[in-house]
Amino acid sequence: MYVKASYIFIILFVILTNYWIGILIQRTDNKQRKKAFFYLSLFLNLSVLIFFKYWNFLIQNLFEFFGWLHLTNSVSPPFLDMALPIGLSYYIFQTIGYITDIKRGTIAAETNFYQFTLFTIYFPKLLVGPIERANHFLPQLKRKISFEKDHITEGAKLIVWGLFKKLVVANRISIYHTVVMVHSDRESGVTLLVASLLYTFQVYADFSGYTDIALGTARIFGFRLMENFKQPLLAKNVGDFWRRWHISLSSWVNDYIFNPIALKHRYWGEGGVFYALFISFVVIGIWHGAAWTYVFFGILQAIALIYETTTRRARKKISKKINSDVYNPLSILFTFLFVTFSLIIFQSPTLSDATIIIKRIFSNSGELFYENPSTLLFMLIGCGIMLISDMQKEFKVFKISRLQNRNWLGQQISYAFLIIYILLAGVFDGGQFIYFAF
Amino acid sequence: MVDSLFILRSDINNFRMNFIYKIREKEITVFLIKMLIFLALVIMLDFSIGSILKYFYFKQKSGLLYRTTYSMDSTRADFLVLGSSTATHHYNSDLLEKRLGISVYNAGRNANPIFYDFAVFQSILKRYTPKIVLLDFNVEEFKVNPDDYDKISSLLPYYKDHPEIRSIIRLKSPYENYKLLSKIYPFNSLLFTIGIGSTNFNTNRDDINDVKGYVPLYRVWTKRITTDTSIKEYELDSNKINTLKSFVYECTTFNIQLYIIVSPRFVKYSGSDISIEIARKIAKQSNFSLYDYSKDTIFWEHKEYFADGIHLNNDGATIFSNKVVDTILKSKQYLHIKSKKPFQ
Repeated sequence: MYVKASYIFIILFVILTNYWIGILIQRTDNKQRKKAFFYLSLFLNLSVLIFFKYWNFLIQNLFEFFGWLHLTNSVSPPFLDMALPIGLSYYIFQTIGYITDIKRGTIAAETNFYQFTLFTIYFPKLLVGPIERANHFLPQLKRKISFEKDHITEGAKLIVWGLFKKLVVANRISIYHTVVMVHSDRESGVTLLVASLLYTFQVYADFSGYTDIALGTARIFGFRLMENFKQPLLAKNVGDFWRRWHISLSSWVNDYIFNPIALKHRYWGEGGVFYALFISFVVIGIWHGAAWTYVFFGILQAIALIYETTTRRARKKISKKINSDVYNPLSILFTFLFVTFSLIIFQSPTLSDATIIIKRIFSNSGELFYENPSTLLFMLIGCGIMLISDMQKEFKVFKISRLQNRNWLGQQISYAFLIIYILLAGVFDGGQFIYFAF
Repeated sequence: MVDSLFILRSDINNFRMNFIYKIREKEITVFLIKMLIFLALVIMLDFSIGSILKYFYFKQKSGLLYRTTYSMDSTRADFLVLGSSTATHHYNSDLLEKRLGISVYNAGRNANPIFYDFAVFQSILKRYTPKIVLLDFNVEEFKVNPDDYDKISSLLPYYKDHPEIRSIIRLKSPYENYKLLSKIYPFNSLLFTIGIGSTNFNTNRDDINDVKGYVPLYRVWTKRITTDTSIKEYELDSNKINTLKSFVYECTTFNIQLYIIVSPRFVKYSGSDISIEIARKIAKQSNFSLYDYSKDTIFWEHKEYFADGIHLNNDGATIFSNKVVDTILKSKQYLHIKSKKPFQ
């Protein structure tokens, strides 16, 4: 993420165009004109996104393609040396959703310019989302907002949890993961496996940590943002995972890409669903960044979901034959391993780097690398606390949760200790949030 | 009648408003009190746990953390070795002491850049003036690397009692002063290290068995030598360059002999390193010398002198320490110094 003052004009452009087009769609009764305005907005939004995020990627691939056809000449590719504007992918998707909803007639266009601006760039969600929906957020802006002690308490708790996830878990793993992946071609298989498994925790802690901080900040100001995570590491299959992971993106893609495509191709039967799945997950993949690894990451998810759809009945039969105490944990474990595997591709700069890591995991024997045992201990404790908290939310493992109970003193002590643990074990010099880059 | 009814109704409304207002006011007061209690609890826990950590940190009698404390607060050696892991593992204090006839302490610390060396040196100068300082200098020492600023955290436990190092600590972040209001923060990430260092747990670990700060390595490197033909072009960190300048300036001011030495590595370098060249110029301006052993072919031909690609093992360190002593004895700036007291 980079900050460039002139980029404020991009945000202004997006706000102004979508604000006016929204009103124009609302005001016109002519279906053709409605459609034209909608496509104009889509064109403008996607042009901004493609130009700033995908230009170099497109140009590079185009030139490589021409090179493959032996059509290269002395012209050098017109690469642009510019930084990705902050939060671009998030607010562009948000405004596309807003315009689509107006066109569908599910919401009315916002006529208050200030409220529309706030909806687009409300500061806690600007950088890393959640990708808000107009029908969820705009009504909140119209309410009278007053001081509520419960909002402050609730928000502060979320912020502390977010800080714990980011500073204690994500940043700690990041140190180990970075050291290992810099020399991924030299590290042992077990080291790469551990680093890859930990990366799944890192991405989750990093992203959900930021989301918690965003949700908490908004809550203090009296707003309720969309939930973005619902214990994704405890998902029992890939479909379930995507209903729990980056919910604001996956539900956005579901509503604005998957459903329209599946509906349009409903006469294809299952083929239409598969086609819609494929397109949806390619979009999810490429949304993360301009690289083939992200595209492949998306395709992998689509393949897994197509497999799950085709084997649903067979898997249901098997699940009935096996004790649920065995079947469910195994399902969670396999889903976790699949997510970890696909994240190897996601985190690698190129597909060949990912291949090297995967090959070494399965072929290279050697000792586990760790700088000192305390690094591993800190990582394990952090992941453990996060996992226990998720398990408590999911399965209600313990009858009393110190962090959720109603005993006031118990809660105070629990959160005080959480802050103390952040001071003790947090990595305060860690890098930026992973999803800032998207 | 109507008037009295109106007055009665407005009285009821006023009463209702006052009642709601008072409840709300009471709610806010209770909330603020609860918040204050929570803050007090956090401060109390921070103070007590921070104090316990501080006690155990400074109670240690061996290991990595102890050596920093000893370097800053206790050593009175005439000959000091400063630098990173190559300093810790390459300069045999006993050997240097015997051959030079003066007390020696190896105050190097693993993975720490020049900021650490200068901070320790400043603390030492506050107590006494050593006669000779050997600064082990690394290839690419002046390269911009944000991690090097993070490593300044190894000095945080000394922030309170060592005002002379505060300017170095502030290089880490402009908010460091505020973070250090917490008693726990200086010991961040050190919980297990302090725990291990304060007990007899794992006495065989690498960094515990030092001889006057020198930590010998006994592993033998078996891999082939790597060749680095790349032209070293990188962004230079002006803070690091200025720190070396300050280091050299202090040596000149206090009349301390400074030897800047680049240790051998099991990597064949063909090009020159800009950091070494800059350091050589800085040293020369104050009539000090820089000795570069990074291209010493004797070490390139003997992988058995190495514990890994960068560090010499005990055999290699013995040979290298002897070489360093020979160089010092031959150097123009060396003056034979007899230690007043044998090193304790």
